[in-house]
Amino acid sequence: MNITLIIHMIIAALVAAIIYTIIGAAPGADETATIAPITLVLVLSGLNGMVVLSFFISAIVACKLIDAVPVSIAGIPAGVMSTPMVEHAMVLKKHGLTDTSIRKIASGAIVGTLVSVPVSLLLAKAIVPFATVIKEYGDPVFFIGAIVLALLSKKRWVALASIIPFALLIQGLRHLYWGLGAVEKGTNVFISFFLGITIGPVILTLLELLDKEKRDGMQKFHRKTIYLKKDEEYIRVPNPFKILTKKELAYSTLASILGSVTFLLSPVGLTTFFGELFAGRVKEPVEKASLAVSCMEALAQATYMAGILIPLIALGIPLSPVALGPGNPLFNAPPVYTLENNMHHLLSNIDIVWATLIGAVIASAFTYFITVKYSQEICRFVFKRIPHEALLGVFFSLVLLLAFVDGGWINIAGVFLVGIVSGTFHRMGVNYGVLFMILYFAPWITSILAG
Amino acid sequence: MKNIHTKQKETDRKEGMESNIEVWEDLVDIKELILALFICSITALGGYFIAPDNPTKKLLCGISGAIIGFVICAILIKPKRILIEGNKES
Repeated sequence: MNITLIIHMIIAALVAAIIYTIIGAAPGADETATIAPITLVLVLSGLNGMVVLSFFISAIVACKLIDAVPVSIAGIPAGVMSTPMVEHAMVLKKHGLTDTSIRKIASGAIVGTLVSVPVSLLLAKAIVPFATVIKEYGDPVFFIGAIVLALLSKKRWVALASIIPFALLIQGLRHLYWGLGAVEKGTNVFISFFLGITIGPVILTLLELLDKEKRDGMQKFHRKTIYLKKDEEYIRVPNPFKILTKKELAYSTLASILGSVTFLLSPVGLTTFFGELFAGRVKEPVEKASLAVSCMEALAQATYMAGILIPLIALGIPLSPVALGPGNPLFNAPPVYTLENNMHHLLSNIDIVWATLIGAVIASAFTYFITVKYSQEICRFVFKRIPHEALLGVFFSLVLLLAFVDGGWINIAGVFLVGIVSGTFHRMGVNYGVLFMILYFAPWITSILAG
Repeated sequence: MKNIHTKQKETDRKEGMESNIEVWEDLVDIKELILALFICSITALGGYFIAPDNPTKKLLCGISGAIIGFVICAILIKPKRILIEGNKES
């Protein structure tokens, strides 16, 4: 590691912090859809792995930290992860404590990051002895993972029933491309199918718009009304640890440890479960709400960090919802990274730790400062200037571009098909994680089915 | 909040202005959404095709195209949100 590399990492982390502080504040900005494509492009462009990792970690931290703003100010979840917090943030808002809410959430995020990095490193060390066994049975592990994830989701039977048909669709398309010569035989089209799944719900809605009956039947709205409260400006940016009470600090730390340990599970489910568990016993509404938001944010942040760091350090295969979703390009982005040769194999543990620290520290410092000091301005800018259409447009075009790069014009149609099917499954209640895992074990399961 | 939403809806219905649909947790106008998808796709693929023949450069030009498309859309299209600012808590 030399000075140039460190400077590159710092620049990457700063750029990520700036971009994702803005994108993260936009309503409905899903982490997988916003972070995965950009990370992918960086990986494919041949950038040094450590630089990509600092970018990625900074993006994750910034994206989660800035959640505090739309949730507290407008009561709008900025992504799936922050949905469970909205209810509690609204209690604080009702009591005129919007600024407290922002500070508590932001501090919770800082605690979560600080606790989860060392805990994840320890956990990764503990898992290493089992890593070879887990990796040897990669395909069955993903298969079992998909079944477990399916059983844990709300619509478990639908999710379970979707596994084999979706694997057939994926592998069928791959064989079609090989047969037609669109893709070299043996090369598994992966990235664009992955993005097709992510953007599935949008593609499905677009398709429905072509049906006049459906179009007329859709619920129509005028405008989304968002109430913004004017706050006094802060002269000094407060110390995150002094914002939390002793109890909140202790519970957030505990939540972060639990979040790191349970990195294999769905972050949203965990956040709701532990958040309610911890705060449930407190009667006084304001105290309860601020305990809930700080714990939930700490836990969400910790699950995210552990979910990426543990598979990256110990396994080299994406075995957590976070690694399968936003972190996927770090494990599998052919031709640069494959499951046999990715960041896990190319970077040493020390490299990973440094890249993580640089990313996490820069994003925490930058976004925390911005969040606490300029929350009003950010909200106003995003709500007034960033149309949702433009966000959808840019993601759609990235999917289109990467689909073409992966397999030419025919793959654009293929990704469209994958999007329609996965969008339908998703609407029926199938977890994204299940569909992502299918991408990995599709060749294995289809060859078993064929006997 | 619910009351406000119903009230908002009632006024919308009276004025016949309900035209936006919800996609991915926020509101969009159908025509403008199609316009945005069109603009970004053209700029992204356009960037990819006009770039020099080198996989990395092609990809970077493609993504730059997508970002240019995003900026164009942000200028052309107005967000479907009404921002009400005040000193009182609602």
